[in-house]
Amino acid sequence: MTTLSSAHKYACSVLVNEPLAQDIWRMRFSCPELAQSMRPGQFFNLAVPGDPSNILRLPFSWSVSDPREGWVEFAYLLVGEGTRRMTTMIPGTASDLVGPAGNGWYIPQNTQHALVVGGGSGVVPLVALVHELTQHGVSCDFVEGAATQNRVIYEDAITHYGAHFYLSTDDGSRGVHGFSTQISQDLLASSAAYDVVYTCGPSPMMRAIAAQAHEARIPCQVSMEKLMACGFGACTTCLVDTKNGRKTCCTDGPVFDGEEVLW
Amino acid sequence: MVNDVSMSVDFAGIRLKNPLNTASGTFGSAQQFENFYDVSLLGAVTLKGASAVPWEGNPQPRMAEVFGGMLNSVGLTNPGVRGLVAESGAYLAGLASKGTAVICQVAGHSVEEYKEALVLFEELAPWASAFELNISCPNIAKGGAAMGSTPEGAFEVVNACRPLTKRPLIVKMGPVRVQEIARSCVDAGANALSLINTISAMSIDINTHKSRVARPTAGFSGPAIHPIAVRMAWEVCNAVDVPVCGIGGITCGADAAEFLLVGCKAVSIGTENFVDPAAAVRILEELKDWARSQGVSDINELIGAFEC
Ligand SMILES: Cc1cc2nc3c(=O)[nH]c(=O)nc-3n(C[C@H](O)[C@H](O)[C@H](O)COP(=O)(O)OP(=O)(O)OC[C@H]3O[C@@H](n4cnc5c(N)ncnc54)[C@H](O)[C@@H]3O)c2cc1C
Ligand SMILES: Cc1cc2nc3c(=O)[nH]c(=O)nc-3n(C[C@H](O)[C@H](O)[C@H](O)COP(=O)(O)O)c2cc1C
Ligand code: FES
Repeated sequence: MTTLSSAHKYACSVLVNEPLAQDIWRMRFSCPELAQSMRPGQFFNLAVPGDPSNILRLPFSWSVSDPREGWVEFAYLLVGEGTRRMTTMIPGTASDLVGPAGNGWYIPQNTQHALVVGGGSGVVPLVALVHELTQHGVSCDFVEGAATQNRVIYEDAITHYGAHFYLSTDDGSRGVHGFSTQISQDLLASSAAYDVVYTCGPSPMMRAIAAQAHEARIPCQVSMEKLMACGFGACTTCLVDTKNGRKTCCTDGPVFDGEEVLW
Repeated sequence: MVNDVSMSVDFAGIRLKNPLNTASGTFGSAQQFENFYDVSLLGAVTLKGASAVPWEGNPQPRMAEVFGGMLNSVGLTNPGVRGLVAESGAYLAGLASKGTAVICQVAGHSVEEYKEALVLFEELAPWASAFELNISCPNIAKGGAAMGSTPEGAFEVVNACRPLTKRPLIVKMGPVRVQEIARSCVDAGANALSLINTISAMSIDINTHKSRVARPTAGFSGPAIHPIAVRMAWEVCNAVDVPVCGIGGITCGADAAEFLLVGCKAVSIGTENFVDPAAAVRILEELKDWARSQGVSDINELIGAFEC
């Protein structure tokens, strides 16, 4: 069944755009309509000006927002032409976006203790989630997996919200040497008290976390990244294979039940 | 407003409020665009191709961005005619009642499957103004472009479907042998033609040595194909007497105007719907501005006004 997107088209204007970590930038932009309507885990499709030969919008999650002041912030990893061109969007640059898109995270009733695992730029939508969870009195263990110590993002915000912060780096430059999945495995083994697991990051990581949660009989939500041409349900380029058939990542997701995804 | 221009056109016996239509597969079932503007402002909408039974389509990745456009290998994923009607029938009936022509696109892997899908549409979609036969999808192994790339194949599909409906039949053509295929579609009873579908193309990841989409080839759309599409539409307008809907790379009123000048009675917005979800109404306004700038009071005065 087609899920209709809640996305509208809104003007936005860059307030801050600066390096946050190695190859990762932080952008904060003004867009009151989005700041007031977007829930954690939802995303928006940003028009990146400057190159008419590169036409499609890029989808991004958000980390922090201020509905009263009307701004939204996110971090982006420089991976290709579009994200590199975004670094030239100086404060004052006007653009537009299509959002809020997708379903966002779901907080089950009576959740008291959550395990949250983010890898790379997948940390972004989890920052907004942890803020929401801690505001609802949910205690959070947050595991961040980064390639190296210079790529750790949002540690301050996450600890400021009151989550316990655990870190792994692929190269061992800080925290546990290895993957976030080792820490999550230990946490799941040492405490059976989690009501829910949330994860966003590279597909193999999410797959492993979903398997760990399954083993521990804890519900797990995963946020999938698919290549998207439209981001609001019009093109069917972004399908995710699930046990319940193919679903549309940009409208039925990006958050899916970890049990449901066929990896 | 000075000198308001009449935008209404006749398209195969259907009175369109204006020449603006949407390209199949880029406009979902039209509902997806209501958040961006009142879809009933458009002359017509063409829906994603639907088959008699649901199709899963191709594996991921199903798209890649390329210079001046994109490649897609969606492969006609659709919930089947019944699924489409169940999900969107009520909305589409409402849209039709506001005077926007709803064009249902018919897909199949074989002549029999086209017929089955059309029979279902004929029965379940009383609100449809016309049916469009997609004989040009480059992303499926059987049917689509595999059948519509020769005049004989195109004739066979159209001829078999013609007796099954009294409503206008449009044929969606690909970018191959356009004059010959256009003539054979009309000989078989097509009431209108629309072109072009995407151009079969490739993009390769030079590090993995693999295609950037899950199949070796995919369909190329977007602004880069516009001049090719205009040339092909012009050739078809010269070859046949039925109305033609111009499609390919339209991003603004000027791009649409070129199709009208070479003789197209309507134009469809495709990939630009993704870039600017409000594109079709913007382009409608830009076309009106252009018509005013040309000093005409009726858009029909500009259709076919190309001089050569
Ligand atoms: C719902 C959603 C939320 C996202 N949130 C964030 C975020 O908060 N921060 C962030 O840094 N990135 C996020 N992404 C990924 C981001 O959209 C891509 O990195 C970006 O579009 C790449 O654009 P580019 O032109 O720089 O790269 P390209 O030149 O297009 O591609 C470079 C590389 O990145 C990969 N890539 C491109 N687009 C995507 C995509 N949509 N998903 C996954 N990989 C992709 C390509 O396969 C290629 O390997 C999100 C993606 C989705 C679908
Ligand atoms: C994602 C996508 C899906 C498409 N699906 C269909 C389809 O189902 N049937 C069809 O006839 N054409 C389909 N097309 C082709 C378009 O209708 C159109 O002919 C083509 O994209 C050229 O126009 P454009 O350059 O304005 O996009 C699709 C195009 C895209 C980009
Ligand atoms: S990206 Fe177009 S339907 Fe999801």
